[in-house]
Amino acid sequence: MNSMLKSSVSIARALKGIIRIIGKNNKIKIGFCIFLALLIVGFASPYINRLRIGDKRPHDLGVGRRWEQPSIKFPLGTDDYGRDIFGMLLVGIMYSLSIGLLAGAIATLIAVTMGFISGYKGGFVDHTLRTFTDTLLVIPLWPIYMAIATYIPKLPLESVALLLGIFSWPGAARVIRAQVLSLKERAFVKLAKLNMLNDLEIVFLELLPNIAPYIIIGFINSVMGAIFAETGLRLIGIGPPLLPTLGYLLSITIGVGMLSVRPYVVAAVVGVLALIFISLNLINIGLEEEFNPRLKKVTGL
Amino acid sequence: MKMEGTSLLELRNVTKIFKGGGVYGGKEFRAVDEVSFSMPSEPSILALVGESGSGKTTIANMILGFLKPDGGDIFFKGESVTSWLQRKPKEYRRKVQAVFQDPYEIYNPSYRVDRILKLTVRKFNLAASEAETMRLIYEALEALELRPQDVLGRYPHQLSGGERQRLMLARILLIKPELIVADEPVSMLDVSLRAVFLNYLEEFKSKYGISCLYITHDFNTAYYIADKAVVLNLGRVVEIGSMEEIVLRPLHPYTQMLISSIPLPDPKMRWKERLELRKLQVKEIRPEKGCPFALRCPHATKKCEEVKPPLIDVGGGHMVACHLYG
Amino acid sequence: MGRNSILEVKNLKVYYKTVFGDARVVDDVSFTVYRSEIFGIAGESGCGKSTLVEGIYRLVKPPGYIAGGEVLFEGADLLKLSENEMREIRWKKIAYIPQGAMSSLNPVLRVEEQMIDAIIDHSDVSREEALEIARRALSELGLPEMVLRMYPHELSGGMKQRVIIATAYALHPELIIADEPVTALDVVSSREVLQTLSELRDRHGTTVILVAHDMAVHAEVDDRLAVMYAGKIIEVGKVDKVFYDPLHPYTKGLIDSIPSIAKKKMIKGIPGIAPSPLNWPPGCRFHPRCPYSKDVCRSEAPELKEVKPGHLVACHLYAGD
Repeated sequence: MNSMLKSSVSIARALKGIIRIIGKNNKIKIGFCIFLALLIVGFASPYINRLRIGDKRPHDLGVGRRWEQPSIKFPLGTDDYGRDIFGMLLVGIMYSLSIGLLAGAIATLIAVTMGFISGYKGGFVDHTLRTFTDTLLVIPLWPIYMAIATYIPKLPLESVALLLGIFSWPGAARVIRAQVLSLKERAFVKLAKLNMLNDLEIVFLELLPNIAPYIIIGFINSVMGAIFAETGLRLIGIGPPLLPTLGYLLSITIGVGMLSVRPYVVAAVVGVLALIFISLNLINIGLEEEFNPRLKKVTGL
Repeated sequence: MKMEGTSLLELRNVTKIFKGGGVYGGKEFRAVDEVSFSMPSEPSILALVGESGSGKTTIANMILGFLKPDGGDIFFKGESVTSWLQRKPKEYRRKVQAVFQDPYEIYNPSYRVDRILKLTVRKFNLAASEAETMRLIYEALEALELRPQDVLGRYPHQLSGGERQRLMLARILLIKPELIVADEPVSMLDVSLRAVFLNYLEEFKSKYGISCLYITHDFNTAYYIADKAVVLNLGRVVEIGSMEEIVLRPLHPYTQMLISSIPLPDPKMRWKERLELRKLQVKEIRPEKGCPFALRCPHATKKCEEVKPPLIDVGGGHMVACHLYG
Repeated sequence: MGRNSILEVKNLKVYYKTVFGDARVVDDVSFTVYRSEIFGIAGESGCGKSTLVEGIYRLVKPPGYIAGGEVLFEGADLLKLSENEMREIRWKKIAYIPQGAMSSLNPVLRVEEQMIDAIIDHSDVSREEALEIARRALSELGLPEMVLRMYPHELSGGMKQRVIIATAYALHPELIIADEPVTALDVVSSREVLQTLSELRDRHGTTVILVAHDMAVHAEVDDRLAVMYAGKIIEVGKVDKVFYDPLHPYTKGLIDSIPSIAKKKMIKGIPGIAPSPLNWPPGCRFHPRCPYSKDVCRSEAPELKEVKPGHLVACHLYAGD
């Protein structure tokens, strides 16, 4: 379809624009670099671990001896099951980031679809979708997670991400709907209609490029939200035991008492989590800085 | 089906009601109340004059098909607009176009300005090749005294308000519609640019036969380019007549008040008396029945508050909706 | 200070710091305002008129700054006063009505609350006294007292603006500066507001500086008029002289481009676009668009000189004559 081609052209142009923005703003640059570094570490973690501990996975029992002191081989030592803490930290980055990104993508996709349909169509459709969205917003998520985790203990990563994603989109959907509603009345949309553009073309070609900033920021928020939620849940023991995320690592190290005996271990895990949030927040703040004065340039002279 | 000698545009008792407050109903608001007027088939410029809240923008939106009338109907060349948009929307858009008020808002800020011109050429199949597209665009720009190299390739915020508004006219020239609905096209332009823009509208009429429905609150500019005027107050037509008649011999008290309040750029012709109104206007109230101007009219009677005055012809095509003349 | 003058602006410069250098938005502006007159400042968007009055009232904020000049009021240079001394002047001696003041009315407070708040902020009276002052101000402007108990959204645009003027007039300042007071109003409300300002001058001897881009507004109420272009004043004079005998080609072009129901004539605009403060043309700033420009116009900026009695212009056409 011609409009699909056109919108992929505009997406490509948008990406070029994004790369330009990354270079311009310091906060985005720093945040992006840190996040990229974390991504690379997470991605490379299986290989790093193979170099360090051979074929065993760091969270296997008995990788090392129990309660080993930090050494070259085990920079953060082992716990009382002999699991390699440092290795788990590396792998945890990969798992936590994966869950965050996947959940964020799912949430954003649903939010964008719902927000656009609701905002653009208006009327009865909007009213129904809005009621549905608001209901979901009010449902308390943690009891649901707990219930699911209790009855289905062996959830793979994708399912956890899906779960987090499909419950966290209502907030972003409301924001996007509001944006669509306000943009819909702008004169350039009227002009597009006078130029014989159909609804789909208007949504993708006229509205989407202007809402893209909010979608991106919303996506990053969702990612952070998902990582935060998963970590929190694992800390209180909710979640599949075989997923070695950072939250899981945190729960076992604290649970075993390392806070008092080897606080630096806990500090290291918290530090990595903090790095994730700091980097993503920096990107977000930088993006908001960039998008708002740019929007101002449109309305002023 | 088209009839010979049909008017270009005709509104017959057009009414539009807005409901405030939610899906479950709320207060009704008559934005447009039984408005009728027409434009002839020969190229002409009709001024639709009214203050904010008079319903003029709602009428524009209905003519352009963004809203549907709740009562009465709008006819373009003898056929209802609704029917045009259902059966041959592309033809309708080809014949009826618009120019809007805000030269900043009409452009999508994410794209360069070329896009709107190229899109127009493409969507209306005005050219067969890329080369011809550019040729048409260049011609249109030059006809509006815009240098292509100064304007193409720019983003909207890099052009001035005057350039942007002229670019809109270039787009119109590409399409060459039969009717332009111009909603306050110069009110956001600097004074020295308004003249240029208005002269172009006049040229579009005389050179290309493009009629214009010029919607404004400013009688000074309306007088300059329009032949005929329709005066609106709170959604109702109060007076219709030639521009000369309306300005020199306004019949309706509202029109008289408007005309006498216009600031004249001539220090020797200042407002003489204090503005006296029957009731000091604190806030526009839209009365349920009777003439909408009754609350402020110095000649209002009981009848005026009860009965809506019909639009009657007082001779020579001059029409008034006022009990003073009924 | 000359005969009966109330405000004397001398060589005022207001610049804005940008990454491209200083934007010289108001660039060496001088004029005198006489007591009990309505002095108009006309010009199109970007000429610097709003920044000019902000500079006079000491409201310029970074990245803007006052780069030089004096503003003499009652013997003192306003630009050299301390913030406390300036506060004594504001509202009591000189009142300022910024552009868009009507929309800054608080929608959840009644009019009387807002007027009282403003009056208390700028004087040492009690709430009861402030209410009395507000009542008096409204009646002095011919506004009905019932307006006090109303909310802003219940008032028409013209009424809101007149309430703003009443609030500005409440402490009986000698000078009121109004920036585009009627731009957003319909023609009837605009007339109400302008007549209110005229009455302030006629009945109470208040001086008004009226900033507006609409020349017709100036024709209706001004006594004297200054025309600004590209950060400078290019013509000053009595309003009928400026309209009937415009000296500067820009003024001429401006007046020629105003449509009017009083006469049906061909109007033409001014070719070209207004320059930007970061890139003022050299010499006379109007020379790129001027039909009469000569060589000297490209290199030398003309001085504002009195060419006929009371009528000043900055143009090489009148140099040496």
